[in-house]
Amino acid sequence: MSLVQNFPFFSIILAMFSGILSSVLSGRKARNLSLAMIGITTLLSGATLAFCLRTGESYTYMMGHFPAPWGNEIRAGVLEGLTAVMFGVVMFLAVLGGLDHTAEDVEEKKLNLFYIMIDLMLSSLLALVYTNDLFTAYVFVEINTIAGCGLIMIRQKGRSMSAAIRYMIMSQIGSGLFLIGLSLLYDVTGHLLMSPAKESVEILAAAGDYRIPMLVIMAVISVGLAIKSGLYPFHYWIPDTYGYATPTASAVLSGLVSKGYIFLLVKIFYRVLGYDHVISSQMANVLYAFGVAGMVMGSVHAIQETDTRRMTAYSSVAQIGYIYMGIGLGTPSGMVAALFHIFTHSATKALLFISAVGLYEVSGDKKDFVSLRGAAYRNPLAGIGFAVGSLSMVGFPMLSGFISKLLFATSAQESPHKMLPTLFVLAVSTTLNAIYFLRLVITLYSRRRAEDDPIPEPVNAKSSWKLKLAILCFIGVNLVLGMASQPIVQAISDGLGMFD
Amino acid sequence: MSDIILALPVLFPLISGIIMLIRPVRDEKWNRKQELFIEGLVILNSLFVAAAIAGSMSGERRLVVFRLYSVLTVMFKLDQMGSVFAGLVAFLWPLATLYAFEYMKHEERKNTFFAFYTMTYGITMGIALSGTLVTLYLFYEMLTLVTLPLVLFTLTVEAVRAARAYLYYSIGGAAFAFLGLIFVLGYSGIGTSEFVAGGMLDMPRAMANRDTLLLLYVLAFFGFGVKAALFPCYRWLPKAAVAPTPVTALLHAVAVVKSGAFAILRLTYFSYGAEFLRGSWAQWVVMGAAMVTIAFGSTMAVREVHWKRRLAYSTVSNLSYILFGATLMTPFGLAAALSHLVAHAFMKICAFFCAGAVMHQSGKTYIYQLNGLGKKMPVTFACLTISSLSLMGIPLFAGFISKWNLAMAAFDSGSGLGIGGVAVLLYSALMTGIYMMTVVVRAYFPRLAGKGEKPGFDEETAKTASQEVTDPSWRMVVPLVIFAGAIVVIGVHSAPLMRLLMTIGGEAG
Amino acid sequence: MMEGNMILLLPMLCPMAAGILVLTGKVFRKNRSYLTGLSTGVLVLEAALTVWALASGGSLTVLRLTEQLTISLRVDDISRLFAALTAAVWLLVGIYSVAYMSHEEEEHRFFGYYLMVVGVLMALNFSANLITLYVFYELMTLTSLPLVLHERSREAVRAGLKYLFYSVAGAFLALFGIFFVAGVSADLTFTAGGILSDEALAGKEGLLLVSAFCMIVGFGTKAGMFPLHGWLPTAHPVAPASASAVLSGLITKAGVLAILRVVYYVIGPDRLRGTWVQTVWILLTLVTVFMGSLLAYREPVMKKRLAYSTVSQVSYVLFGLSLLNPVGFVGALIHVVFHSVIKHALFLTAGAIIVTTGWTRVEQMRGLGTVMPKTLTCYTIASLALIGIPPASGFVSKWYLASGALSSGTGVFSWVGPAVLLVSALLTAGYLLPLTITGFFPGHDFKGEEIEKRKLAGKEPSWLMLEPIAVLAAAAFLFGCFPGQLISMVQSIAAAVL
Repeated sequence: MSLVQNFPFFSIILAMFSGILSSVLSGRKARNLSLAMIGITTLLSGATLAFCLRTGESYTYMMGHFPAPWGNEIRAGVLEGLTAVMFGVVMFLAVLGGLDHTAEDVEEKKLNLFYIMIDLMLSSLLALVYTNDLFTAYVFVEINTIAGCGLIMIRQKGRSMSAAIRYMIMSQIGSGLFLIGLSLLYDVTGHLLMSPAKESVEILAAAGDYRIPMLVIMAVISVGLAIKSGLYPFHYWIPDTYGYATPTASAVLSGLVSKGYIFLLVKIFYRVLGYDHVISSQMANVLYAFGVAGMVMGSVHAIQETDTRRMTAYSSVAQIGYIYMGIGLGTPSGMVAALFHIFTHSATKALLFISAVGLYEVSGDKKDFVSLRGAAYRNPLAGIGFAVGSLSMVGFPMLSGFISKLLFATSAQESPHKMLPTLFVLAVSTTLNAIYFLRLVITLYSRRRAEDDPIPEPVNAKSSWKLKLAILCFIGVNLVLGMASQPIVQAISDGLGMFD
Repeated sequence: MSDIILALPVLFPLISGIIMLIRPVRDEKWNRKQELFIEGLVILNSLFVAAAIAGSMSGERRLVVFRLYSVLTVMFKLDQMGSVFAGLVAFLWPLATLYAFEYMKHEERKNTFFAFYTMTYGITMGIALSGTLVTLYLFYEMLTLVTLPLVLFTLTVEAVRAARAYLYYSIGGAAFAFLGLIFVLGYSGIGTSEFVAGGMLDMPRAMANRDTLLLLYVLAFFGFGVKAALFPCYRWLPKAAVAPTPVTALLHAVAVVKSGAFAILRLTYFSYGAEFLRGSWAQWVVMGAAMVTIAFGSTMAVREVHWKRRLAYSTVSNLSYILFGATLMTPFGLAAALSHLVAHAFMKICAFFCAGAVMHQSGKTYIYQLNGLGKKMPVTFACLTISSLSLMGIPLFAGFISKWNLAMAAFDSGSGLGIGGVAVLLYSALMTGIYMMTVVVRAYFPRLAGKGEKPGFDEETAKTASQEVTDPSWRMVVPLVIFAGAIVVIGVHSAPLMRLLMTIGGEAG
Repeated sequence: MMEGNMILLLPMLCPMAAGILVLTGKVFRKNRSYLTGLSTGVLVLEAALTVWALASGGSLTVLRLTEQLTISLRVDDISRLFAALTAAVWLLVGIYSVAYMSHEEEEHRFFGYYLMVVGVLMALNFSANLITLYVFYELMTLTSLPLVLHERSREAVRAGLKYLFYSVAGAFLALFGIFFVAGVSADLTFTAGGILSDEALAGKEGLLLVSAFCMIVGFGTKAGMFPLHGWLPTAHPVAPASASAVLSGLITKAGVLAILRVVYYVIGPDRLRGTWVQTVWILLTLVTVFMGSLLAYREPVMKKRLAYSTVSQVSYVLFGLSLLNPVGFVGALIHVVFHSVIKHALFLTAGAIIVTTGWTRVEQMRGLGTVMPKTLTCYTIASLALIGIPPASGFVSKWYLASGALSSGTGVFSWVGPAVLLVSALLTAGYLLPLTITGFFPGHDFKGEEIEKRKLAGKEPSWLMLEPIAVLAAAAFLFGCFPGQLISMVQSIAAAVL
């Protein structure tokens, strides 16, 4: 076993331990530790990815000394590696970009707490990505929830409290359903490790036993994770949560957390329940229907919002809808499109939240359209960042969103019954996206009117280099995803191949 | 490597524009030198275009720039149809820029304006030179973006509203055009979306899914049709008339809107192939839409009293002349569509520039304010008269030639709806007569007091009479006169042009 | 580029150039004698050039717009008839205008366009194919528009626009037909009896009829044919009297010429005979004849009355053409000449009355005989000719028209037509003669206070105005006495086309 194969485990543990360590450190030190840790784990994930790409196959890694069927396992393949890298990069940039704001929003004493949450969050995300073990997955789902709550609550301003509670309740319902699903699955198959569980499922399916319980398991797990990832119509916690947390938290929550659950769901579909069964049991169609509804309704809600933060949050509902639509298409290429969109959306949405910060700070920290009028002239880079993010969401060629859209549309061609609705919804949703995002962009670039309230002098007149760097990097990530997507898409589809 | 000349007309203005944005020149420092520089730049680029066209005479040239994704090849290629559009734009741009200097004399933020104006040149060239549908789509989207700041330029409430409408419509349209692109890619017989005269579809496969493909064609037609202001997606165009006149004239009468029409021609004749579409229900749908737009646009123009908006509605109607020709799906139809594409470019830019000259010299924007200006601005209104007559389709002017070709093509196609289309064309011609000639008549024959009315009854006439208004400076007059001249030249001697267009049609139909 | 007899260009270019010169040269704005001198000089020259061109004959290709669209000129019998008429009448009215226009403003504009119109009209008369005809037909509308707009009053502008829009609408309606014809025939050169071949038309007969109808109604706009006649009574009266005269007397004939060319030289009368197109066409002309006369009868303002009369009379011509037989054709063509002469005389009289007395309504004109007896005599002669009292000219043409109708074999129309003509003749007498009667015989109760007060008695208009009126009135009478030459010429044309 080469050293590289240990890296996934190392990165999870590293993230966890830095969280623990941070509890005794000062805020500043915790921050530095956190950044360093995120950087290192990203590098580790990169090495893992490179390893998997080189060998061309995945491997499982046993944590501790208990072999299957009892022990805990993690599994690393191309797709896991790629996702981990992506999560690491986005996390790093989000933390970097929001650094100064975190310092402002969070009490000095509690600053280290914030970074503990970030560390735990990353650790749990990585675990969700790498795990090959359903129970580990559940544990980290819970850790993730707690970390998420912490991130929201720590701001202690406005509605962040109630938002956190709402998030907590919804998440718990989701986790609860997930747990029920797991228990049932364990009951039926007697396994919690993914590979043996899958074997049992296949045997049961071949024999035709336990059809109803399997259906229930599928439904309960799907719904549980769908609630946690904010699929329409289980999205009510999203706007408040993303709307009132600190910028870093918003970026991380919307860009990564929900994606972690989706990734887990995909993994369970492939590695445990069998994607063919998911399709044949109509579960895919249900997800498809919810996804399509989300694409449209999320955008409709976003159009009605005047608070730009909440608007961006609602846009996430629509984007999650895209992903579920791709999963629901029931074709391998649809799944590739969905996974690619996970990347697209993480990069883009985080870019939007971080750029928005730059715009808010020059607009008296107000988030409504009127206050933001002309903000792009006051902070040009943030304006460009927001514009690029918006255009990517709209599917402008050369940006990541275009490739997602392209993949969705091409994969739709393969499923004759869903083709026309998919294409139509794609077009409509693009238009709706254009309406709310580009309306804001135009507002950013229009002139302040005489009747507008004067803008108070910004506290820190110029946004920090960190924010600028983060925005630039995010733009870069978007361009890379948009212009050099070929290898990434290839890797995703290879990785999916390794799932079976 | 000589194929790099194909990329030059696209990249050169784009990069120049970006440099201008990065190193802005303040208004107070703005002087003739800057203008000379920009004009030189634009002329140089037109020379590049000329060189590219000359180079492609000897044989088709292609240049693969990069691949966006496996099948998404971004490629430049110059064929004859591209040459027509590129040549047209390259001819108009330097003149329009010259005009813009004078028009923008008193405006702020000249640097921004000219930066984007120049960038638009590159993007439009990108559309003309695009060798694949993907490239076309890419530049089509980019065109929306670089022209947005120009629409937004004055930053007034109306400008913001117009910019929003422009954006929503364009992006929405592109979203539907995108679907067409996907399907062309999916059913392409050559693996990529490279334009092939006569269509690139894999026929056996395409025929098996004919109805789906046709549906997607209709969607894509309407999608690209948004830029060409097809009913019911025309609304952005009259609104966008708030932009400075050089923008309305060059972009919203030629570059942008013609790009939409050009894209449709590419989609119809070079991607799907006329043969695949001819006689299908899709043809009737799109032809019907074009006819409705023709009638609707010209009727609305009659109702409109704001001069530039009236011209914008006129553009709505005239663009659909082109689309009508395109939807005939015959070689002659394509030739006729292209002839109107060329003719309308000259007529409408001339008309808009006249409107702009009047706005610039006297600040008058409504038609009822124009009484008696004809005598005070003789050159401007002479040009306007020529352009109006041409728009109406009076013989000896360019508009008649293209209208003639359209009607001939319609009769030639032998379809009943086509003949109905001729009737619509003539109805629209009548409406054109009404909305253009009322302006001319007003300008030359200001109403005097009628019987039983006290003298000086017409306040606007009296106001104009007392106002000091003259023809604008040479920088506005020269382009105007050249355009008017071009209208007449095409009108009386169009044989070479038509020969070229007929060859294009013959190959692609 | 140009092949053929270049002389044909001269009658077209000479007045056009002169017109542009007059419009742009400042000297003509300042010095009236230059203006009038040049104008009359050019008109005399024009008459000479026309004669020269007609005598030398031949044809000329001027310009090729595209491969198919050629502008070319040619002299044939029809163009001889129309060109000679135009040149002669234009000269007379020009002389009249020199005196008449001294009462109006901005004369240079009037004369400028007056000269340009005659150039265009000549080209129209000489046109050798349908495209050329259409080109100059449109140009005629545009160049004659300023004549209608001349007064620049609210009414004039409105009437001018109405004139423009109706004309353009008509032209575009006709253009539909031209499109069709051009589609089925490569060459549009006028040929007696039509140019269309049966093979090219196969399967498109229905469309041909529609096209023919479009062209008839479209070009009929200029000729004031129902249903597109609405502009005529509005536009003609607002122009200065000399302009009204040529608008009424000659420009309406351009519509007739166009229809004549289309029906007899492009489509061919045989293709229309007995079809619904002929039936509807006859019906429309008869409706117009009757309606025009009736409206004229009820109209109190003299110039308007004359305009309505034009509506009615030009449709006599069209009625003759619509019969599609030689006798009707002859009647139509000679009525072109007669009506033109007569209507000019009448309008010029109206203008003379306005200039001298300022009267516009017929009931104001009681006792006119005491003011301008010579003018009124000329008017009376012209009126009698129009009514059709033998031996004045109108009688001859109406005779031919009526007998043409009777022998036309068009069913009910062969007797309804003459009946309508008769009724219309009565109405014509009813609207023209009252002026003569109240003019010469104002009645016992007429004191003539106004005439006395303004010292109008015996105040004939200047000889420059009177002369043309007299010449025209004499022509109106003499043509009726000696129509032989004209009729034989027209009969030879009829023989060629039918």
